Amino acid sequence: MACLTDEKILACGEGDLNAIEASRIRDHLLVCRACRLADARYRNLNRSLSRPVFSEPPAGMIPQIMQRLYPALPRYTSIIAAIAASLVFLITWIYVYFDFSRSSLVQALRLTADGTSGWLANIIKAISTVYNAAQAAYKAANALLNALLPAPMGTALLTGSVLAFSGLLAFLLLGPRRKRAHAKKS
Amino acid sequence: MIVDEDQVLIKRTLRGERKAYEELMRKYEKKIFSFVIRMVRNEDVAVDLTQDFFFKVYTVMDKYNFEYKFSTWAYRICYNLVIDHIRKNQAQVDSLDDESVSPHSLLASENVSKEDGFKNMAREETRDYVWQVVDQIPLKFRELILMRYIQDLKYEEIAEITSLPVGTVKNRIFKAKEILKKEMEKDGMLDG
Repeated sequence: MACLTDEKILACGEGDLNAIEASRIRDHLLVCRACRLADARYRNLNRSLSRPVFSEPPAGMIPQIMQRLYPALPRYTSIIAAIAASLVFLITWIYVYFDFSRSSLVQALRLTADGTSGWLANIIKAISTVYNAAQAAYKAANALLNALLPAPMGTALLTGSVLAFSGLLAFLLLGPRRKRAHAKKS
Repeated sequence: MIVDEDQVLIKRTLRGERKAYEELMRKYEKKIFSFVIRMVRNEDVAVDLTQDFFFKVYTVMDKYNFEYKFSTWAYRICYNLVIDHIRKNQAQVDSLDDESVSPHSLLASENVSKEDGFKNMAREETRDYVWQVVDQIPLKFRELILMRYIQDLKYEEIAEITSLPVGTVKNRIFKAKEILKKEMEKDGMLDG
């Protein structure tokens, strides 16, 4: 039998030959030193190829992909905190705008808090101080704007600022969801 | 229809479970990155392409047909991404894949020491050297060797991914091995 071609040796190694052909090749390998050497070399090569050297991807790759796929969504706690902040903001705005500081309910609360001590009274006092400060700041800003601009424009500017602040709050809250929807589409 | 581990992860991902997709990425990141980096031979490009691959798989996941193996479908996406990139940057690839340049000379230019001792090399070193030679063979052979041994695919799967006949895939892999053997013989590295 003539010497084996590389293709035959490889096919035999891969188990691609039928039983008769494979047997003939094995017989030939027993008597032919050159083919036996070629066969050993291919086996050695296959052994090396079968244990590939893997390249380690950078450690931060998957977190980066996750960030790209799922932009940080607000958690329930942050949503609740944002809603609470919006409510506080709205109540403060109503309180300041309609000047509730002179209402009988607020006066009664203040008098009760002033006459007592304890954590609840302290909270009421703190809220009262913050509201008074907010009202004073609003009045000062309103007076300043009205002095600089015609009366309706000053109030409009102040109201516009408040609305812009509300809009910014909503944008920050909904931004991540918008990004995620965009990522899904693209 | 048998649902394998990958398909369970896909179903969970489609239901919106982030962890499931992260698990799927962790499972494939090494194989994908190793394939891509050996194809493009540039780490930064490989990182970008691997990220693009996982992003693309996620965005087209709802089109995945559960009758097929996920790995074959995903590797096809990966292969197409890499080939598109290589085609767009053909000039660079041509200079690297010039068949007239022997892998042997390329290795020499990379300062890979082939001084005495190769004949007695340990198996690990032989393996590392084989894979360095793989990195230098022409793309049309390299891509098939990588699919066969890095991605652990069968000839039929490689044929499906590359749209080549199974016979061509086998012949090219045989040819690649002949090239590798010749290069290794020059250093007497396969005699161990």
